[in-house]
This record gives sequence, structure tokens and C-alpha cells, in this order.
Amino acid sequence: MTKEKKIFVVCLLILFGAAMFCYGAFFNSAKVLAPSDDKKVELSKPETSLIKLASVGGVRRDEFGRIEQTFAEGEKPPETCPT
Amino acid sequence: MQTLVAMVKKMKSNISSKLLGWRMWIQSAFLVLWLDPLGLRLHTMCSPVFHCYSCPLATFACPIGIIAQFSAMHLFPFVAVGLLVTVGILFGTLICGWVCPFGFLQDMAAKIPTPRFDLPKFTGYFKYVVLIVTVLAIPYFFGEEHLLFFCRICPAGALEARVPSMINQAIAGQSVVWPNALKLIILILFLIAIFFVKRPWCRMLCPLGAIFSLFNRFSAFFLRFNADKCTDCKRCHKLCEFGIEPEKSPNDLGCVRCLECTKCGPDALNLGSIFERTEKDNEKIKTE
Repeated sequence: MTKEKKIFVVCLLILFGAAMFCYGAFFNSAKVLAPSDDKKVELSKPETSLIKLASVGGVRRDEFGRIEQTFAEGEKPPETCPT
Repeated sequence: MQTLVAMVKKMKSNISSKLLGWRMWIQSAFLVLWLDPLGLRLHTMCSPVFHCYSCPLATFACPIGIIAQFSAMHLFPFVAVGLLVTVGILFGTLICGWVCPFGFLQDMAAKIPTPRFDLPKFTGYFKYVVLIVTVLAIPYFFGEEHLLFFCRICPAGALEARVPSMINQAIAGQSVVWPNALKLIILILFLIAIFFVKRPWCRMLCPLGAIFSLFNRFSAFFLRFNADKCTDCKRCHKLCEFGIEPEKSPNDLGCVRCLECTKCGPDALNLGSIFERTEKDNEKIKTE
């Protein structure tokens, strides 16, 4: 591979990675079922919130394939190591 | 003027050996960054290093933990993958050798004078199995409850999150929650291995290292081998503690880019980047 081609491929991959990162950080979201007053409401959570929730064991996939929050809004998340 | 140009050239050519003297300090500085000194807990974002987000001192979320958790939820982790692709294509495993706190911990353990053993070369491929099986496949097909879900067996999680948590529970007089047996065994084996093998986790099992190593051959920063300067003294073989022959494979999949091999006398190995002009480029410009 010539140097010019290598620079082109590297720049292309940097742009690809940065685009993916920005899409995830600013635009991507997922539907999450969150408990609220004895029922579950569907909320749209941005990916950054899902990362935070995942880091405290606050989200999981239920038996129907839906993503559910393990604690209600206002409650304290599991906090400790999710495993 | 010519002397000045020669000096600048010499400085440029010796940049790796100059950086090497600062390696431990650079690793320490990054360690401070990952240990959340300001208590910010920026867990909405991933870091490009292997550091458990359940650690009481973690600034960012662990990208491998997030990839595994997202795989269990059947979601694509755009933030984590985008970050790893961007950082990987720029630096490759330079992150492992200079930035990762878990690598730094193993480097510190390696400073204790104990007999060192080398690992067979094929063990370097185990990390790809760990990445595919425990980070991607098992979470996707069996969810986070499976015993081999990556975070359930991760020694970084055990050491950085579970152990401090157990200490806290003991101090508070609560009943201590132990990690599962497999995680405990892996942690004990890891703690023994770091004193007898150089960076055993990075070389054999690290899934993050597996991702970064895939970028090694075409990353923007790489290890440059200058065959014209090589005297075939094989000193680089002795300097490399990872069993790599740097003159044959300077950007090997198993290299963590510690740059120790750049200490070789004739300056045949050096940290290079695709953006800098080499002597060949300068000659090409002159002939044009």
C-alpha cells in the first residue's frame, strides 16, 4: 500500500469512527420500560443515559426482548457492581 | 544552519528513546485521570482503557463492559465502538503500553525481581476468543446472567470494584458479599501470574487489547523499522519482553508498543507516524 493510500484509509476510518461516536452520543436512543406507580411506562433514553444505567446494573433485557429499567425514577439505582 | 538542521533531525529520530524515560510518569498521569480525582463520575461516556466502571474511583465507563452489556440488550454500542475505532486507528496498542491503568498495574508488578517465564506464541490468540465468546456471543445469546458473561469473570472488575466493595462491607460491619468462585479463581491466578509473566492479561486475554491490536498494522502512529540502520545485532529481541522479533514484525498483533525495543543502539526502530515526511519522501520531492 502506498503512503498516500494509507493516509486516505486512516483518515476515512477516523471519520467513520468519529461519525459513529457522534451518532451514538448525540442522536441514538432506545425505548426503555421504566417502572412508575405500579405500572411501566415506555421512555426514549439516549445512548449516553443507557451507558450510565448499564454501568450501575440499571437496565436489562426482559423475556420479551424489551429493555427495562430495574429501578423507578427517583429511586436509587443498584449502584454496586452489576455482576 | 546545517548544524541546526542536523540537531533537529537527531532530536526527531530519537523521540522514542526520549519518551521512554517519561513512560512511567505518563502512565501515572493517565492513571490520575482515570481515577476520578474530581469525583465527576462521567459514566455517560466510555474511556478507551480497561478500567471497571464499578470501581469507586472510575471517571468513565469501561468500553468492554458497555459492549458486553449492550450485546446482552441487543443494542449496537455506537459510542463505545466509535471511540475504539477512532482511538485504535490513531494509536493502535500504544494505548495499552502508555495509557491503560490495568497495563500500568502489571508493569509495576513486573518491577519486583522474580523469575520470569515466557508464554508460547499461540496464547496471544486467546484474547480474540475472549472478545468473541465472552464479550459478544455469550451476552448476545444468553444475557448477562450467564456465568461466562465477561464482567462476571473480569479480574479488573474483581480487583477494582469487588475488593473495595468487600472492604467497605467489612468496615461497615455488614456481611461481605464475595465474588463468584470463577471470578475469584481468575483474580487469584491473575495476581500470581503478574509476578512471573510480563503483562499476562494483556498478552493472553485482554479483549480491549484484541481490538486495538487489529489496528496495529495500519494505525497513524506505528513502530518504524529502518532496515538501512539495522546491524542485525538482535539486541531488540533481548529488549522485547513479549517474545516478538521487532525487525521482522514491528507492528505485531502481540506488541503493546512499550517502545523498549527502540533502545537498540543503531536507532533502527523508532516511533513513526504516517503524516511525517521520511527521507524517501524528501528525496522524491527533490527529484520532482
